[in-house]
Amino acid sequence: MRLLRQIRLSLDKYRFLIRQLVSRDFKVKYKRSALGVLWSLLYPVLTMSVMAVVFSHVFRAEIPGVSYPVYLLTGITFFNYFSEATNLSMSSILANFSLLNKVYVPKYVFPLTKCLFVGINFLLTLLPLYAVILLTGTGLNWAHLLLPYAFVCLFAFTLGMSFLLAAAAVFVRDMLYIYGVALTLWMYLTPLFWDLSMLGDPLYERLLRLNPLCQYISFARQIIFTGRAPGALSFAACALSAGLTLWLGAAVFRRKQDEFVYYM
Amino acid sequence: MGGPMICAEGLGMRFDLGIEKGFSLKQGFVDLLDPARRGRGRRSEFWALRDVAFRVDSGEVVGLVGGNGAGKSTLLKLVAGVYKPSGGQLRVCGSVCPMIELGAGFDPELTARENIFLNGAVMGYSRDFLLERFDEIVAFSGLRDFLEVPVKNFSSGMTARLAFSVATVVEPEILIVDEILAVGDLAFQAKSEEKMVSMIRGGTTVLYVSHSLESIRKLCGRALWLDHGRLRLSGPSAEVCEAYRAAQSGEAEL
Repeated sequence: MRLLRQIRLSLDKYRFLIRQLVSRDFKVKYKRSALGVLWSLLYPVLTMSVMAVVFSHVFRAEIPGVSYPVYLLTGITFFNYFSEATNLSMSSILANFSLLNKVYVPKYVFPLTKCLFVGINFLLTLLPLYAVILLTGTGLNWAHLLLPYAFVCLFAFTLGMSFLLAAAAVFVRDMLYIYGVALTLWMYLTPLFWDLSMLGDPLYERLLRLNPLCQYISFARQIIFTGRAPGALSFAACALSAGLTLWLGAAVFRRKQDEFVYYM
Repeated sequence: MGGPMICAEGLGMRFDLGIEKGFSLKQGFVDLLDPARRGRGRRSEFWALRDVAFRVDSGEVVGLVGGNGAGKSTLLKLVAGVYKPSGGQLRVCGSVCPMIELGAGFDPELTARENIFLNGAVMGYSRDFLLERFDEIVAFSGLRDFLEVPVKNFSSGMTARLAFSVATVVEPEILIVDEILAVGDLAFQAKSEEKMVSMIRGGTTVLYVSHSLESIRKLCGRALWLDHGRLRLSGPSAEVCEAYRAAQSGEAEL
């Protein structure tokens, strides 16, 4: 309880700094580009179009009973958020070393601001996703109101992983490369382009379902395609994986943060 | 004079020089083949500060003198909270304004106006405070015509002026100054020096590092002399400065 209050106080105190850092990222990202923030919309639309074309026309992939583009985009939107946010967060402590070595700034603000910054982009990519949902005739339903639950879990999980990775990268620089490879593997193990039922082996299926990203994506797909709320078990699984990861990441980061200055 | 604002006992700061090498595949194999070597050579510790005890009372202006590498900046960074002590205790009461290195967190891509807010946030100012003091900062820097220009296009002097103006707009309870009295051109140097002196004399608690014994004697009531990480002498600034000068010229003659 006292810890929670400390966290709230600190967030309150550094809210202005966090806002400034997020807006800095935005300004710097779109400086000198003619289309500016529009790229936040265009970029995912274009990359998604490429993937949709490649997978539905070249590989002729399809998932029975659902619109493949929507299926694909849901997965990619979620996974891209995770991959971009964790990648930026991982190097955020190292990148801000010169600042951390001069003034006192709580170190957690750097992974946090990266996750928030990419989060705003994530919310923007929901626009093209919904456009595709409407255009393909998949349609809306009331269960969509439950989607933010999946977003919150995704955010918490990503933040937890970001803390772990940012701390690890300070001590072992090789992490930057290792994680790049791990992330590629992770992407193929997550049912973005394919469906778990394609595996045809219940054991593998059960194993891959343990992947938190798979849980959040399945949660969202169930809502989008069936219009029914996911079962209590799905809710619990999402909360558990997200909560545990965030707790673990924050705990490790907190324990190790004072040693960062020696290793940078 | 009130109670103690900064209180240090047995304060130590250790850097592990071996970390710089860190673990590498090569070293790993070397150690594997030669167990006798294992762990040797990896433990090169360096105490930037050791067993330092002092206290600074509210309203005191304390100077720090000592040669390069004596631990002055390390001490300031400890007080500012950048480092955590590896030994001993350090208690700091009140808000700290660390003027150790100016312009922390400046982003060259952003304009001067944006950087004032970013840098202000890094220094821990609130939004309301910055909005209220914005004009004062701009006026002091004398860069009103360049507010919308990205800082990367500034000369280093202009950047320093901007940074100085943001840093000195506060009225902190503890002011930490690391020899930044003079930045910019001649006119701004005079102005900034005057501002610093008025801040130091403004009744706040000050920890001040300088190689200019002249200004230490002028501004500080008390001084600490650090020598290779240890506190060699502490007392009235005139006395400490004299002893330090004597030791320095002694070394020079040798």
